[in-house]
Amino acid sequence: MIGSDRGSSIRAGAAAAALALLAGPSSALAKPKPAAGSPSAAKPDESTRSKAITEPVLDAVAAEMERSLNGLRIEGATPPYFLGYKLTEVEVNDAVASMGGITSQKERHFVNLEAHVHVGSYQFDNSNFVAAGRDDLDGRSEQSLPLEPNPASVRRAAWLATDEAYKEAIEQFQAKQEVLKSGAAGGLSKVPSYSKYKPTAMNEQILVPKLETVEEMKQRAEKISAVLRKTASVRDSRVAFTSYLERRWLLNSEGNAVHDTRRVSGVMIVASAQADDGQELTLTYSRYGLTAADLPEDKELAAEAGKLAEQLDALRKAPLVDSYTGPVLFEGDGAVAVVRNTLAPHLSGTPLPVGVGGRDAVRFGGQLSDRLGLRVVTPILTLIDDPTTATVDKTSVIGSYRADDEGVAGQRVEVIKDGKLATLLMSRTPSKQIDQSNGHARLAMPGGVFRGSATNLLVGVKGGLEQKALVRRLIKEAHTQGLKYGIVVRLMDDPAITANSELTRFERLQLLQSADDEAPPLALLAFRVYPDGREELVRGVQLKPVGVRAWRDVIAGSRKRTVRNFLASVDDPLLVQVGGAGPGFVPSGGVESSVATPDLLFRELDIVPSALGRRMAPAVPAP
Amino acid sequence: MFSAASALSLAGCPKGGAQGGAAGARPLPPAVPARLEVDALAPMAGNDPSAKSKLIDIMASENARWFKVLKAAQPAPAHFIGYQVHERRSVTMDAVDGVLLADEDDTQRALDVEVRVGSEQIDSRHPLRDPRLAAFTSLARLGSVPFGEDEKAIRHHLWLETDRRYREGLLLLNMVLTERQVSVRDEEKKSADFTSSKPQLFFQKKATLEYDRGVWIKRVRDCSKRAARGVATRSNCRADFELNTIYYVNSEGSQIQTSWTNARFLVQVGVKHDDGMPLSRVEQAFAPTPAELPDDAKIDQLITVVNRDLDALHKAPLADPFVGPAILEGRAAAVFFHEVFGHRIEGHRQELEVEGQTFTKQIGNDIMPTWLSVYDDPTIRRLNGLPLNGYYRFDDEGVTAQRTSLVDNGILKGFLMGRNPIPGFEHSNGHGRKEPGNISVARQGNLVVETQRSVTKDELFQQLLAEIKRQKKPYGFIFTDIAGGFTNTTRVSFQGFKVNPTMTYRVYPDGRREVVRGVDISGTPLSALGSIISAARPVETFNGICGAESGWVPVSASAPSLLLSNLELDRSFNPTDRGPELPPPSIARAHGGVQ
Repeated sequence: MIGSDRGSSIRAGAAAAALALLAGPSSALAKPKPAAGSPSAAKPDESTRSKAITEPVLDAVAAEMERSLNGLRIEGATPPYFLGYKLTEVEVNDAVASMGGITSQKERHFVNLEAHVHVGSYQFDNSNFVAAGRDDLDGRSEQSLPLEPNPASVRRAAWLATDEAYKEAIEQFQAKQEVLKSGAAGGLSKVPSYSKYKPTAMNEQILVPKLETVEEMKQRAEKISAVLRKTASVRDSRVAFTSYLERRWLLNSEGNAVHDTRRVSGVMIVASAQADDGQELTLTYSRYGLTAADLPEDKELAAEAGKLAEQLDALRKAPLVDSYTGPVLFEGDGAVAVVRNTLAPHLSGTPLPVGVGGRDAVRFGGQLSDRLGLRVVTPILTLIDDPTTATVDKTSVIGSYRADDEGVAGQRVEVIKDGKLATLLMSRTPSKQIDQSNGHARLAMPGGVFRGSATNLLVGVKGGLEQKALVRRLIKEAHTQGLKYGIVVRLMDDPAITANSELTRFERLQLLQSADDEAPPLALLAFRVYPDGREELVRGVQLKPVGVRAWRDVIAGSRKRTVRNFLASVDDPLLVQVGGAGPGFVPSGGVESSVATPDLLFRELDIVPSALGRRMAPAVPAP
Repeated sequence: MFSAASALSLAGCPKGGAQGGAAGARPLPPAVPARLEVDALAPMAGNDPSAKSKLIDIMASENARWFKVLKAAQPAPAHFIGYQVHERRSVTMDAVDGVLLADEDDTQRALDVEVRVGSEQIDSRHPLRDPRLAAFTSLARLGSVPFGEDEKAIRHHLWLETDRRYREGLLLLNMVLTERQVSVRDEEKKSADFTSSKPQLFFQKKATLEYDRGVWIKRVRDCSKRAARGVATRSNCRADFELNTIYYVNSEGSQIQTSWTNARFLVQVGVKHDDGMPLSRVEQAFAPTPAELPDDAKIDQLITVVNRDLDALHKAPLADPFVGPAILEGRAAAVFFHEVFGHRIEGHRQELEVEGQTFTKQIGNDIMPTWLSVYDDPTIRRLNGLPLNGYYRFDDEGVTAQRTSLVDNGILKGFLMGRNPIPGFEHSNGHGRKEPGNISVARQGNLVVETQRSVTKDELFQQLLAEIKRQKKPYGFIFTDIAGGFTNTTRVSFQGFKVNPTMTYRVYPDGRREVVRGVDISGTPLSALGSIISAARPVETFNGICGAESGWVPVSASAPSLLLSNLELDRSFNPTDRGPELPPPSIARAHGGVQ
């Protein structure tokens, strides 16, 4: 699948974890702690109880699982030792408007079953391996399920999916054995393929607040998007609202049976303009929360839309940045983006599947996997990932869950303490250093495993400064390095949201071929800050790759933190763009995540000017 | 409006004996034309200028604003700008095994802007020779335009999309010109890249889609439960309704607003054979409105047919490759003509270098028996009382739908044309079609095969038996249904066709019939058409949706049953899947009667 529209694909949500809003009778699976009086304590609604997945339906899957574990064999081939099932029921409403008029509205409801088969043994199985030219082999298979309960249909789907997944697993296992035995890809290792996990049962259905209706979202989208029609220089714009819930039931042959429901609402504003020299410029604004009550109200959103249009207008006349090496201060959304894009992927301890390379390997990160106990970032930083909390700094966070994608209870993990790497985020796929999951299986990887991934990532800084003092520190550092100014970054691109680029297919393919895979996304809002404190907006700010090493040179942070929710794309954003997003594109797919971080000052980063998207002015002026 | 509910004029005798293949020595079928009751509607019938939407005016004025500038633009002018807004509400209710699988109701408004850059003689849509470059020409994507009639918002989006398309057009034209500079020996293309057309003004009130959701959900649910019979392990019933409104303007001055509904009901059953072959049977009914779809009694007939056929297929032996006489019954003959003949008669295929150009040089030649004629007429609403799926008033390039004679008394007369002319056929005949987001090419609408000579179905069967004996074959074949197929029209590989019959009967000289499976009909078009030796009334119709490079478009094909002296059967692709290792689960056994 290409595209991150949860409403359009059977694959949607395959990579993401669950969000629990209510307690259930389970000791191992604690509920995330909601903040008293927080808006997202919106009442769970009885109407959100699943009508498709009922006890007899789950019993039917369990019965088929048992029958398959005991009886599913092919003579001469390795039998299954682990079977897992994920039943997912998704409901999505969304609405998109442009210039005050609706361009797209959707209501989606679908139910899937995914079977997951491991053959061999925990010590050596088929998983975490991508066979050359056979990346479809991952020991998984999916089937659509009806919207109404029908145990017979569902059992039949489980039967067919298990059979198909088993056959894939056998082929994958055989290929993995051959490749590793031959010494290719590092040879056989003593690290087990999969870790054991003590089963838990938690089947009581979790209800959530009901979705906002398409009608409500339409009205809001129309109203907010109308603000953007007032600015003549806005070329293209859209305002999208989304509201979805995803119910999931995870069963496996070890006896684990857990249920979880997540619920997210979001708003995004995207607008583009053309600079005087023809460069295409885009700005975005997005907020996600558990329900619409967590989103800003219309008045505030309208103000944000107005501000965005003003900034865009200013950006048109802003000079292109010059090449720069020196201190960079990331503020607010900019700080969230630098954490999300350049540090978070490296907190995973899951070994990359054998056979994953190129762009994917870069995207999945994991550069800290052999650094346990060592200082990996500046000693002033501490990083905690906590799926068990429902709020951070009084803001509802969407990266919370009761059980991860492998049905393992989410755990609060202190990953980096005072700059030293304490542990990593793990799924059930062990590494040389860490043999157990800590409940962070979220992002689906090629080769049929989940990657330990960040959820609610909390960045703490020692000796945080006031914002003005931090800017002074930037100026001082720039001066020390003999520079006339320092750079502040306040917003970076989220390609999953700005997917409607005006690049032609020709240009996108070229970009795919020549883009620097390791460079972070373009900085959309960046300023030069001069010694007198004066700020000058610049455009085309492209950071060169920010390696993990750069994090050792974070020299200061702010006292105040910014908390942002976002959907981490499960797909390669550039590939999504090459595929082209439709006009009604609303990114409601991806891993629900949040980052809470202070503003961060890096001693020295490299910036190059980007002239991407430069083109002739329209032959006819806008009407 | 006129309603020509009369038999088509079939006056005149054949100009000679039947042509082609092994037909010469056999007696001709009697001069009894197969009945064709045609209910056609002139495209301009029902024109109601008062129904014109404000959207049309907004589109026309923005189009004119751009064209005024672009027609003189440098470095390259545009010679044509077309705007199409296609508003489509799609309703789907889908049930499987008695429960609902999908219940969707979506409305989209897609904007397609076409800016042709260059001149009519050579423009941005000139075919590129290098297939790698040609891949980049698919820059088309759905544009977006808000619902409603807000002038500022709509005009802005029209402007935005026109700017993008002009830019893309410049890019394409540069590719075309560069390719000509470096790689084309001399200009082989004899015609222009584009033909202009007379402006049309037509306005129709927006149609309404009326149905009772509750009733239809119950119908699909009940239907899928009733269809779960016999060997079927999956039974599926589905209702699809559409409300389409198209707003079209172009720089030639056309303004067209058409609106219509259509409806489809589908029954499908399937089972995986023990040998791994997936078996399925589909029956579908099309109608202009949900109310005109089959009632429950007729749906039961469809269910009976698919179940009966699936049970028979499940018991059927695999057939061996074969060459010999065969009957294509009406619907199978219709699909056969659509695939084998129709796709090769699409105008743009006559000049693209990679195309096989099977019929390009055949104009004026006999290509099938003289008692057969073929035409495509999108203006036919009903044929012999049955609604036709390929009905439309104007094509997607703003050209009036026209009846186009393709074969007249066995002689090739013409091609289906969009706005891409070819030598000898310099104008569109209203067959430029596309799905939103694609570039129009010539496509079929309602393909009709008419015969001036025919026998009854029983007589045709007897003729088959006679032919089997005459050729000393152990058996012949009858095909009652063809699911579709593919036809390779390009010359880079074997230019054959392969169609997939769903119901195949082996017929023995003593008249015994036996269902078999696992064969495809294959061959080359000219020899297949040349081997038609007889036809039987009545004409039957296949309604469906056809996919090609310009997307999916609704079509129909109608034909009498045909006897061919030589049809070639290949073994079909038979997946070597083992089939599931475990037998199907039984809920009752495993779960104490939970059902």
